[in-house]
Amino acid sequence: MTTNSSPMVKITNVHKVFAGKLHVLCGIDLEVKKGETVVILGASGSGKSTLLRCINFLEEPTAGTIEVDGIAINAGEKNKTRENHILDIRKKTGMCFQSFNLFPHMTVLENIIEGPTTVLGQKKKQAILYAEELLDWVGLTEKRDEHPSRLSGGQQQRVAIARSLAMKPKVMLFDEPTSALDPELVGEVVDVMERLAKEGMTIIAVTHEMHFARDVADRVLIMDEGIWVEEGTPEKIFNNPEKERTRQFLAHIL
Amino acid sequence: MKANTLHPGAGGIPPEAQHILNQIETEKSKYNRNIIMAFAVLIIFMITTLIVLGLDFKFMLKWLPFILAGSGYTFLVAFLAITLACILAVVGALGRLSKNPIFNSIATSYVSLIRGTPLLVQVYMWYLALPQIGKALEAYGIPGIQRLFTLPAVPAGILALGVCYGAYMTETVRAGIQSIKIGQTEAAKALGMTTTQTMKRVIFPQALRVIIPPVSNEFIAMIKDSSLVSLMGVWELSYRAIKVGRRHFQSLEMLIMVAFIYWIMCMILQFVQEKIEKHMARGDRRIS
Repeated sequence: MTTNSSPMVKITNVHKVFAGKLHVLCGIDLEVKKGETVVILGASGSGKSTLLRCINFLEEPTAGTIEVDGIAINAGEKNKTRENHILDIRKKTGMCFQSFNLFPHMTVLENIIEGPTTVLGQKKKQAILYAEELLDWVGLTEKRDEHPSRLSGGQQQRVAIARSLAMKPKVMLFDEPTSALDPELVGEVVDVMERLAKEGMTIIAVTHEMHFARDVADRVLIMDEGIWVEEGTPEKIFNNPEKERTRQFLAHIL
Repeated sequence: MKANTLHPGAGGIPPEAQHILNQIETEKSKYNRNIIMAFAVLIIFMITTLIVLGLDFKFMLKWLPFILAGSGYTFLVAFLAITLACILAVVGALGRLSKNPIFNSIATSYVSLIRGTPLLVQVYMWYLALPQIGKALEAYGIPGIQRLFTLPAVPAGILALGVCYGAYMTETVRAGIQSIKIGQTEAAKALGMTTTQTMKRVIFPQALRVIIPPVSNEFIAMIKDSSLVSLMGVWELSYRAIKVGRRHFQSLEMLIMVAFIYWIMCMILQFVQEKIEKHMARGDRRIS
């Protein structure tokens, strides 16, 4: 297993080219330590989401290596072991989407136990016990038997977080988790993310939630046109950005 | 004039709004009354027509048990054919969506060929032409194949209907699967599900809801198309009605009767469809 010194996520020279010509990621490197919270900022279309989706292979990187908790996968290979490695990485990473993507035909509880029972082969009883704990943790115990369509956006996203956590992931990926929410619902989701970070979860988040970036993140990275523009502590990025591009971007969103 | 503001939820419904609400209510009950009246008039008209035509109801009643005895075949053929069609539809849809060139091309040509030829021709193919294929193959040295390919009427009918409806339903199922948003697949994959698990646990259950109405449609059509097996001399509903009607020169009575029997069968199916749809609508915000 991994030691404390080796990174939880290691991305090496990752490229992503869409449709043979659209170069979205141009040689990205990134190391994220265990327990670290990293926020990726950048204009829309800069490649942040694509990078996040490359980590759990929802997007197949065109070149480079992805390593999560000691499992390394190179781009371009094709064999059975690799398929299994991808599944292993996905079991170790939880992902929250902008549009929640809860399973509408299942209740809240069924959504949360789906991963543990189907993927990990846990007993239903055992999965329900942990799911109830998680529901309590995200403050939605009373919604246990509701279907997602009867929940607000913020509640749906909290269930989605609980669904990911039910797999006991090593890393959580957040892909603009608050962008589809009404402004008054953003707080409840950010609050859950913040508590998750405080409990020592390794987090990589793409978000426009500046409070989260400034107050919770250990490190902020700015991406533009598929490369890193600048990285550093939130204080440095927000108060003393070195690059002109960073200043432009921050002026635009703040 | 100063606007009269109220606290949220306070003050109740103002009288002019209540008036409009009452009007809407009256319109609704008027509409319900009218539609019941329209149906009643239609039914009376139909019954009068039947009486005016001078139908021999005694004759109809006398032959009813004999005709109804044919419904067993109708149900048997329709039920087995729809089962076969459902299996073919799921396999066919997976083939149509598959990236494997062999699987995909087989499924695509199956749909194209079957949808592009008349069911009548297909029925005769299975019944009359298949033995000839068997004969040819036997000549190439496959022993016993001709007997295997010579089908009795009922199995031939089931195969013909099942294979034909399977092709139409393949497209229904494919469209149902494709109607599920990509985000669902991604969420399932992000949890670590395999492609098979994703299909079984996430996509199919949701697609099923979309395809129930069109599949019921096919099922209802199939009940009626099962009368095509009468072409091969199977004593099912319509064959009996036609035979009796011709022999006694009272085809009108027999045809009307058999039409009613089909109609009632289809109404029962429609009722079942509505029940299933309601059951499937759990979790849907529009129905709660």
